[in-house]
Amino acid sequence: MLGRFAPGVCTQVAAVSQQQQTRNMATLKQISMRLKSVKNIQKITQSMKMVSAAKYARAERDLKAARPYGEGAVQFYEQAEVTATEDDPKQLYIAMSSDRGLCGACHTGVSKVIRLRLAEPGAENIKVICVGDKSRAILQRLYSKHIVAVANEIGRLPPTFTDASKLATAILTCGYDFGSGKIIYNKFRSVVSYQQSDMPLFSQKAVENAPKLTVYDSLDSDVIQSYMEFSLASMLFYALKEGACSEQSSRMTAMDNASKNAGEMIEKLTLTFNRTRQAVITRELIEIISGAAALE
Amino acid sequence: MSAWRQAGLNYINYSSVAAQILRRSLKPEFRADALKRDASHVRITPWADGKPAAKAQQAK
Repeated sequence: MLGRFAPGVCTQVAAVSQQQQTRNMATLKQISMRLKSVKNIQKITQSMKMVSAAKYARAERDLKAARPYGEGAVQFYEQAEVTATEDDPKQLYIAMSSDRGLCGACHTGVSKVIRLRLAEPGAENIKVICVGDKSRAILQRLYSKHIVAVANEIGRLPPTFTDASKLATAILTCGYDFGSGKIIYNKFRSVVSYQQSDMPLFSQKAVENAPKLTVYDSLDSDVIQSYMEFSLASMLFYALKEGACSEQSSRMTAMDNASKNAGEMIEKLTLTFNRTRQAVITRELIEIISGAAALE
Repeated sequence: MSAWRQAGLNYINYSSVAAQILRRSLKPEFRADALKRDASHVRITPWADGKPAAKAQQAK
């Protein structure tokens, strides 16, 4: 009776073990492939971190030099107590981001400020200038009607004053006559933190009607016009520098986290890989031993 | 009104031209470094009605 059943059982067992074996071999290979790819990702994120660390060091040094430009310009408006004229509802928002991603919530933060403003009533008088492709990509879908100009090729190299003056010229000549406005940018606070801030923009009329303009000496409209053009360029320059610095620092943090996560994944995968390999070896041993035992 | 404004320049153009000339007239050992700061790569595209209005151009 046993003899009659034996051949059938045997083939069945063989088939099952064959099937299992092939499946396990495949997983082993799959795990090792996965492991390799995660290791490569970790290498990439690590080197990106190193690159952005170097860029960040330079950006911070540059930022220190650029700070007086922006602060001086903002101080002027504060000292003169310039307020936006209420009869001119036209507003201009400038989103300072850059072309490059993989840097945490840098660009989303800036775009969100503008998106929230555009969702409020009175948004039809607001126009937006996107500096950097990332803010354009975010704002384009819902608010493309508000965009008057887009600047790109930002973030590959450190921003220069020439970049800022080009932007300022484009803003002055874009044909949009704004009464007031804001530059939205990421203000760098420390290596691990930055915050969305804004700098005000005013029309020349608002500056001329400022209540405390008399604290400044010998101003005529020609001087004011020249100064406003220059202060626009220097504020943009400062915002670009602040943005670049926060972007690099936040990319550094993001890449550090990514490498850490990849490290964790590698640990887990190595563990699974070893366990699976051990299981395959054990099973093969069992098969050999039981085969040998059956022959006796 | 100053001569450069009559010529159609604004203060930004005026000062950037002045900066360019100043950088070019530096001594050779300082010039190379200063000229690096002169470079600019920004491209500006005007938009109208939710679309790029003209082909992207290197703004002057």
